[in-house]
Amino acid sequence: MKYSNYLLLAISVVAVSCTVEKTDYEAEIATDTTEYFDFEEVSTINTGDYNLTIEALNGTLYKGYNEIHVTLEHAQSQEELSNAAVTFLPILTDANGKQSSCPHDYQLTYDTANGYYVGYAVFTDITSSTAGWELFMEVTLSGEIQAVSQTITVEEQVNKNLNMTAFTGNDNVQYFIALVAPQRPDVAENHLVAGVYKYIEPTQVAGDFPDPSQFIYAVVNDHTLLLDPRMPEPSMGNHSSPNNEDLTQQNDGLYHGVVNYTMTGNWTLNFIFQDAQGNTIKGTEVPTDFTPGIEGVKSELYIDILF
Amino acid sequence: MRLVTLIIFVLGTWAHAQDKPVKSDSLDVVLDEVLIVAAKKAKIETDMKMAVSVDEFLASSESISFIKRGAYAWEPLLNNMSSERSIITIDGMHIFGACTDKMDPVTAYVESNNLSEIDIKSGQEGGLQGATVAGSIDLKRKSSAFGRANIWDAAYQTGFEFNNKQFFNLANASYSSDKLVVDASMSHRKADDYFDGNNDEVDHSQFTKFNTSLGVAYKTSDLSSLRVDAIFDKAQDVGYPALPMDLSLSRALITSATYKQFFENKLLKVWDSKVYYNAIEHYMDDTTRPENLVHMDMPGWSTTYGLVSKANLKSANYSAEIQLNAYDNLSIAEMRMYPQDRSEQTMFAYSWPWVTTRYAGLSMSNALDVSSSSVLNFGGTMGVNYNYSKYIEFNRIFHPGASQEKTRFLPSLYASYQWYPGKFDVSVGTGYGHRAPSVSEGYGYYIYNSFDRYDYIGDPDLENEISYEVNASVGFTHNKGHVKAKVNYFYIQNYIIGRILSAGSPMNYQSVGVKGYTSLDYATLFNFSLQADYHLLHNLHWNGTLTYARGLDDNQNNLPFIRPLSYQTALHYRFGDFRFQAELNGDAMQVNYSPEYGEDETPSYTNLNVSADYSFYISNYKTVVQIGAENVFNTYYSTYADWGNIPRMGRNFFTSLKINL
Ligand SMILES: [Cu+2]
Repeated sequence: MKYSNYLLLAISVVAVSCTVEKTDYEAEIATDTTEYFDFEEVSTINTGDYNLTIEALNGTLYKGYNEIHVTLEHAQSQEELSNAAVTFLPILTDANGKQSSCPHDYQLTYDTANGYYVGYAVFTDITSSTAGWELFMEVTLSGEIQAVSQTITVEEQVNKNLNMTAFTGNDNVQYFIALVAPQRPDVAENHLVAGVYKYIEPTQVAGDFPDPSQFIYAVVNDHTLLLDPRMPEPSMGNHSSPNNEDLTQQNDGLYHGVVNYTMTGNWTLNFIFQDAQGNTIKGTEVPTDFTPGIEGVKSELYIDILF
Repeated sequence: MRLVTLIIFVLGTWAHAQDKPVKSDSLDVVLDEVLIVAAKKAKIETDMKMAVSVDEFLASSESISFIKRGAYAWEPLLNNMSSERSIITIDGMHIFGACTDKMDPVTAYVESNNLSEIDIKSGQEGGLQGATVAGSIDLKRKSSAFGRANIWDAAYQTGFEFNNKQFFNLANASYSSDKLVVDASMSHRKADDYFDGNNDEVDHSQFTKFNTSLGVAYKTSDLSSLRVDAIFDKAQDVGYPALPMDLSLSRALITSATYKQFFENKLLKVWDSKVYYNAIEHYMDDTTRPENLVHMDMPGWSTTYGLVSKANLKSANYSAEIQLNAYDNLSIAEMRMYPQDRSEQTMFAYSWPWVTTRYAGLSMSNALDVSSSSVLNFGGTMGVNYNYSKYIEFNRIFHPGASQEKTRFLPSLYASYQWYPGKFDVSVGTGYGHRAPSVSEGYGYYIYNSFDRYDYIGDPDLENEISYEVNASVGFTHNKGHVKAKVNYFYIQNYIIGRILSAGSPMNYQSVGVKGYTSLDYATLFNFSLQADYHLLHNLHWNGTLTYARGLDDNQNNLPFIRPLSYQTALHYRFGDFRFQAELNGDAMQVNYSPEYGEDETPSYTNLNVSADYSFYISNYKTVVQIGAENVFNTYYSTYADWGNIPRMGRNFFTSLKINL
């Protein structure tokens, strides 16, 4: 009887604890991706009469897509101003002193519900020892213009799900595609959002620096991004997923589609970029065969993600 | 004879009584009235072999066939239907394997020395314990009666099988007093790779299994008892030659507490309630297969809580059993792939995304003596099945909008009429029942099937599978023998099977495509068996079995894993304390195979098995030694249900010794 009690006890102790711990799936995805929800202050610029507070997710500007919130207040009264015209122009100066910009919303729009001016910037490079970004802003209120500039720091995007690509299309136009969402993908049907922009060649001679007419970028309208997501890892044999939807432009100006990730890991979003008439601007079809052991062939136009 | 043939009640714990208890106890007196025990094999041994595994024992039933993925843990097919369609329980307890690749049918978690008998019911008659199509297999544990004449009882078996160097030791002991009963068993088996009929080693076919069980019963009053049971099973280093992975460790803990109350002189005779808990962990291992392109970890867990409560009623010409069954199971299976550059991030998915299954069913079976030579059996179940997938987003990749929760009603009905005109026994029956999709069929995600080489995807919104069944049997008993023919026919609506999906691409590198579980409009299954035995002389006995089955889908194409015409014939000769057996068994050529599901034509085979045993006493302890050989002609063969056509074992000499202490 004693023996049997001991045996029972021993059995219970042995078997109650699992030999291998179960994966904490949510925690694992969370450690591989950083998801930010809060807009925090990047910097505050004083133009003399006004204070401009620039906010971005996590208080940091990253390479790739950044939504920008700007609050404008009177420096003395600290009264928030909603009826100004606020412009936003980031300029990159490289090692050779050459100046360029990146896709951005030049004329910020006032968001009445939230009480800030809203825009975006798709930084194409990080701040380094040889290249730096400067932000030029103008506030126009009652016909009076106040201009200001400030050096900003653009950091590497550590979240591999918010990568971007810049390319020249078959039409010799320079395009930019930046991933906006999801910040934290799941093994699931994911709502995929990207911004698509192009550089518009200046039509007039440059005026005094910074001349916004030399740095015009625009949202690309009514194009389509055909999507073919695949896992490039050789052992995955060019694995893909079902029920994906191509990205098309919605009312917010961004391109929305659906991507299914069948497991965590490295994925390549292979794109074919087409204009409204269905002409391909960039991108190639990728093989669809299942080829274990061979690294997946990528389209000419792709963005990698990792989660 | 009539009573023996009536299969009505199975009241487990006393029924088997393999050690011929002296029924002096009041409980047993009550039971004598209540119990009408079916003609079952009282011992877990076959005519050929006295030291068998649970699988080998099951194989001796004409309604069971097996899918074999190696030498260990065969998947039992009842009425030629895969294990999703049958209910496999241990003493009525529901247990669900933790392997997405079906490496661990429930039968893998018991051992022959902790079982007393195996109760197989065909079709909806097996629906008492849960929703089924094919029937039920209940593995009954040993449990000694109170106040047995010999207080202590024990047995020890050891043996060696030469082909795969399997060495096994099985011991069991029991103690029985008026108030207390203890049953304990322990066993260990270790086998190396086996060799096929060409004397080639079948790599990855080794196994090691340890099993122990303990049951303690206490008589709480003259008419009640409380019993607690536990089984612990551990399999290690198990090879599955037909699969791309092996098993490093599988552990199961199966526990229960049972309370029984007897009633005297009333319609209600006994009320028996059990609560149970079982947990299974299963860790597959592919490091034994360096040729694999991708290294994967595939652990699985299955945890079940449950309740079975049943009451037995009996009057002069009527008896019934009412049963309440409820359980909650959580099945989890993970899949983690390692990239070739191990510094890169691993790739993870759930193959069972935390799937909860809850079931509650109330069932009743009745037997009414219509006349002195005929009985009407009828019964039914109303079950509710609930599923919940925690990570439903996995399932929604292939089935956008799939339900995270799903509740199904699973009714079941059956009736049969048995008639005993003279030396004949005749029965006709019918049944109707629903079953819910299994965890894999409903929620499986990229489960690689190495048989047809497809990755399988479950569909949470599959319809219930609905079975319409008819069965009949006719038997004739002569004073020297017996012959019986049985047929059954199933028309199964919404038959669940994998169909190639146009969407998606394989995830497992060996895979050629993706199949989704879908419902065919219907499928039909026909089973026939003929059994006979005859005493040629008083010490020379013959028996034989013939089975035939046919399964067709809604396009009249063959279903997979349907056994071709098979036969078995055996002679048993007794001479003093010696017994000699010779058996011939085999399958005819499998002509009705299903290429769609990865089957090819399997040639016929015939096996000859022989054995001899001798009984003697070592100082009052009955001892039996046995030697024998299976596949005497060392035939190279594989059967229709050998996964990936892996060859079966070649000639195998076996020897065993059993001492009853
Ligand atoms: Cu397994």
